Amino acid sequence: MNYDAMLSLLDELAQEYLFLDCKNIDIPTAGKLLNNLESIINESQKIKTPQLNSCGMGLSQILEKIILDMIKDKNQAADLLEEGIRLMQQIADSFKNTGKYDGSIQEFMGKLVAITGVAISGSDSSVAAESAETNVTEVKEEPLQVQDESLMRDFIAEGLEYIEEIEVNILNLENEPENKEYINTIFRPFHSIKGVASFLNLEKIRSLAHSLENLLDKARNGEISVTAPLIDVVLDGSDALKTLIGQLRDTLEGKKVDESALDIPALKTRITRIEQGFDSDMGDKKVGEILVDEGIISKDKLDEALQINKGTPDKKIGQTLIEEGIVKPKQVSQALRKQVEQVTDLTTIRVDTTKLDDLIDMVGELVITQSMIQQDLKNQLNPDKQLTRDISQFFRITSTLQQVSMTLRMIPIKQTFQRMSRLVRDLAKNAGKNISVELIGEDTEIDRNMVDEIYNPLVHMIRNSVDHGLESPEDRIQLGKSEKGLIQLKAYHRGGNVVIEITDDGKGLDKNKILQKALKNGMISSAEGLTDSEIYKFIFLPGLSTAEKVTDVSGRGVGMDVVRRAVEKLRGKIEIESTVGVGTTFITRFPLTLAIIDGMIVKVGTESYILPTLSIRQALRPSQEAYTNIVGRGEMLDAMGRLMPLIRLYEIFNIEPRHREPWDGIVVVVDSESGSKCLLVDKIIGKAEVVVKSLGEGLKSIKGVAGGAILGDGRIGLIIDIEGLFELSEGR
Amino acid sequence: MADRSVKILVVDDFATMRKVVRNLLKQGGYDDIVEAEDGAMAFKTLKSQKIDVVVSDWNMPNMSGLELLKAVRADAELAKTPFLMVTAEALQDNVVAAVKAGVNNYIVKPFTAEVLNEKIKKLVEGLDK
Repeated sequence: MNYDAMLSLLDELAQEYLFLDCKNIDIPTAGKLLNNLESIINESQKIKTPQLNSCGMGLSQILEKIILDMIKDKNQAADLLEEGIRLMQQIADSFKNTGKYDGSIQEFMGKLVAITGVAISGSDSSVAAESAETNVTEVKEEPLQVQDESLMRDFIAEGLEYIEEIEVNILNLENEPENKEYINTIFRPFHSIKGVASFLNLEKIRSLAHSLENLLDKARNGEISVTAPLIDVVLDGSDALKTLIGQLRDTLEGKKVDESALDIPALKTRITRIEQGFDSDMGDKKVGEILVDEGIISKDKLDEALQINKGTPDKKIGQTLIEEGIVKPKQVSQALRKQVEQVTDLTTIRVDTTKLDDLIDMVGELVITQSMIQQDLKNQLNPDKQLTRDISQFFRITSTLQQVSMTLRMIPIKQTFQRMSRLVRDLAKNAGKNISVELIGEDTEIDRNMVDEIYNPLVHMIRNSVDHGLESPEDRIQLGKSEKGLIQLKAYHRGGNVVIEITDDGKGLDKNKILQKALKNGMISSAEGLTDSEIYKFIFLPGLSTAEKVTDVSGRGVGMDVVRRAVEKLRGKIEIESTVGVGTTFITRFPLTLAIIDGMIVKVGTESYILPTLSIRQALRPSQEAYTNIVGRGEMLDAMGRLMPLIRLYEIFNIEPRHREPWDGIVVVVDSESGSKCLLVDKIIGKAEVVVKSLGEGLKSIKGVAGGAILGDGRIGLIIDIEGLFELSEGR
Repeated sequence: MADRSVKILVVDDFATMRKVVRNLLKQGGYDDIVEAEDGAMAFKTLKSQKIDVVVSDWNMPNMSGLELLKAVRADAELAKTPFLMVTAEALQDNVVAAVKAGVNNYIVKPFTAEVLNEKIKKLVEGLDK
């Protein structure tokens, strides 16, 4: 080993040290020393000399503490620094000359620990950092009194601005919880607000901002993950800060301030809980509240009992309720058990969705295998009775298992709704409107994958409602409506679909305006025979916007057709109900999950195909007269009073059918974005819900086929992609 | 008190904070003050006019206080500019990083006019040497 480099580094260190006055420390010199020590520590690792390494780290520690003004006895610290440098020189000399060092550094290290209070082991300085934090409070000077009113006003204005920034950014964070930059953009405003608040002696604001800052710091360092409760608490926190700053403004203006509305300690408790890694901020529900929720007692009865209970603080509310004969002991104990369950609810784990998908896939395979076994058994001449019983038990278990595994992917739509209401609030402010949001059916569950997919179309519709649907407050007052507009978000399950309705109580769609526009754009030649709902549907066509002015949110004429396309891509449907002067409702229907498709099984020759039920308009057997072959446009069928192109499925997939002509087989009318067409098939087998399986990487982008499915009889059917099929038929 | 005009650059993304610092500096007799709202703007200012002392916040968008410090020290023209770092808590890691990067001094929020001006005074005296 070569110790020359180390010795010269140590010489440099010793020289630099001469300039250091520990009692009145010069920070730039200390910085140079720290950098010197760092090179020495690195070099000691290179030449594998643990004694030098430990001493180097120890000296760094003392120096850092001196810089941070955390050592009282500065003379002793200075002595130790000098001793350490000398010791290191000795060690290096000894190694250079003899290749070893017989002395011990234990005594020196002991003194180091005594003065810094930190044992040096490896390069971990986190312990030191922690103790630094706690010590700092002692060296902090008293904050000054700045009663400058203009400064306060600046703080109020800028603080509110910053909080708005937080709200916008947190929506981004919710979309990309892993994005550290987003956390940073939220962290910084809290940090700044805290800093200024500490100068202005605004203790409440400072301490709340500080808690939120700490929480986000932990999220930024990856100590806790960004969960919905975290985002909720940050939003609530920023709301509380907004209120506090608002109160400050009111105080400045000499208004009376009601401080009781804010429960800062409760908010802080929530922050702490999430900081400690609890994934939820519920679980504090009182027994009484549970009983009320369960409908066992009324709210009045509970209040009554609480009143009685006031006199005896030690007494439990459940006890009072029983003594008053309001509830049975069993009901209380059930409520208590529920309360415990709430706490255990907190122990959720996060699972990668691909793992879940695998599980669901395997369960699907299991179901198919078991139905095959059942079929085999039936085919036997003398089935074993015991075996038959066991298999049917097995069948029950697997079908339950399948149901359960499907629910694993389901989450309540609540979170999406809450984001929406936040969005409405922001949009309303920009549009200068006063809007309240009503959420109904937040607990309706929907597939996790769907949640992300439906978000954008919903946002578009809401923007539309806020911007064009609802009138300005002045107009509303003139119309005799309440000044505050209402947007209602409603979700519920209906026939295997989840329905989401967005209702506003605004001006409703203007039929005539839409018609005029449609006529002008040549979408229709006359308005005759069109129903209201058909007219409304025009707004989903590209290039049709009835908005007179283009705002920054919507009205560029690209909105609603994008919505419709997005909804249809998810195999959903969208409808509009509207009454002039009363309001508009957008009704969207989505499948509960993308993993299962509601389909119609049709047969062509020996092959089975699945058509998505949502695209099917009608099935019929046409007469021979309905068929025409128009030159240049191909084969057409007169169905539903219109001429529609005919697609012979057997031609597209090149298979041998049972029936070659439409009047022998069955024709299914299917819809897509580009219009309706007739599909010729042999026969319709029936309706079925099938689990969508991908055809694998290699067959991913086959036109006209959306995937495969294993049918009840164990055979495979291809799921038809209508849009793709149309393209195929047109030779595109 | 400063006997000649000392030009101080105050860097913070929060305008109110800049005003706070400006007010505190005024109490120490320093009233030739320019402001910048992040590290990048500050660096531009430093390159365009003669600044005697930089008082910079740590946590800022675009270019943090530490990044600004490193940029200043790496710039031949500006390398010697006295630099006072403002930090929210005396987090050992932050302070040590700043010290290693060559900061002249640091100050922990909230601070008094007295402490701030004392530190500025020292930096200014260093200039005359």
